[in-house]
Amino acid sequence: MSDSHTPCGFRELLPGYALGALEPEELDRLEGHLAAECPECAAELDELRRDLEVLVAAAPPVAPSPLVRRRLLAQVARERRDRALPRWLPLAAAVAALLLTGLGWMWLQRDAEARRLRGERDRLASRLAQTEGRLAAAEAQRAALARQLAIVAAPGGRQFALAGLGPATGAAGRTFVDPATGRAVFFASGLPRLAGDRTYQLWVIPAGAAPVPAGVFAVDAGGGAVVQVETVPDAAAIEAWAVTIEPSGGVPQPTGEMVLHG
Amino acid sequence: MAAGDAAALAKLYDRHAAAVLGLLLRMLRNRGEAEEVLQEAWLQAWRQAAGFRAERSTARGWVAMIARSRALDRLRSVRAARRREDDAVREGWLGGEESQPMAHRELEERERRSLVDGALAALPAEQRQCLELAFFDGLSHSQIAERLGAPLGTVKSRILMGMGKLRTALAPYRG
Repeated sequence: MSDSHTPCGFRELLPGYALGALEPEELDRLEGHLAAECPECAAELDELRRDLEVLVAAAPPVAPSPLVRRRLLAQVARERRDRALPRWLPLAAAVAALLLTGLGWMWLQRDAEARRLRGERDRLASRLAQTEGRLAAAEAQRAALARQLAIVAAPGGRQFALAGLGPATGAAGRTFVDPATGRAVFFASGLPRLAGDRTYQLWVIPAGAAPVPAGVFAVDAGGGAVVQVETVPDAAAIEAWAVTIEPSGGVPQPTGEMVLHG
Repeated sequence: MAAGDAAALAKLYDRHAAAVLGLLLRMLRNRGEAEEVLQEAWLQAWRQAAGFRAERSTARGWVAMIARSRALDRLRSVRAARRREDDAVREGWLGGEESQPMAHRELEERERRSLVDGALAALPAEQRQCLELAFFDGLSHSQIAERLGAPLGTVKSRILMGMGKLRTALAPYRG
């Protein structure tokens, strides 16, 4: 690029360019430069072209034969006729455009509709998944309750009432045992929540034998709990049930404070 | 004319065609060919009328440059087996019946022509020669150099200086 005091380096080529006298390589170079729109060269080129137009007058005018004029105007008339559109074309074009926009509109509608339906479908699918999840949970709960009911209502079943002791005097418990299946279910209420490293543990106390662990549990917000025991050894020989406070994970033999017994 | 008005074209043609033909005859030295190019040039001018910029050229100059361009193409085409080279040094303008310019423009035209002739005549001979060879004969720098037996650089600088002097001389009369 040149500053205002140094003319553009391509300036020298411009007269030759305007005259059409440049060699091919020079022409290429200059055209590349002009394509970059050098304003100085563009301005100078304008000036040069005007200079050359004046030079035209250096050749004396010569009247052309009338044939040239006639042929020229005939050609022009022919081109003008070809250029004019047939009358029905604008109308056809308008109809075609309308049709296209109509089709286009329908297309867009369909597309939007498809997208909307897909969105709807996705929402429904996720709702379905949620519902199925809840259904499964409800089913599991129903099954559990059914099992408990079966134990509670078992003919020949035994019932134990547990009383609160020590730090849980307000608590109570009840165990139902079904000797036919060896299943038992224990209900607790009013037990306080324990610290993180402690848990409640249920014990079966057979007659004349050491307590047998029957599962660990935690109480819910209301201080209640349900424990299902799948296999109770020798249901007929059970003397009592007890609940103690033990370290998390439970222990093989009771070590902690007893809170329920009966 | 840009509006596709054939009457406007006819009017411009009547006013400027002779000047353009004069240029073409000088370049092509063949009546038939010159008139062919004349017709082509006016047709092109009519088609490209929208591209004419009044602030940049005169109508005559604009059509004349279109014509010159087409004439250059012919001069340089391979088909030009015909010998166009005149003598090494041009003597004077090519003859031909000079047309009578339209009466009311007569003075204007003659005046303009004599101004341009005067400006050219005022140039150093070697500069004028190079300009004429480039402008009317459509020779390239190297072709001029070959024709005159002069170095390429000399030809280039003669053209540069000649154009510069011409501009100064004609500045008061430019369109």
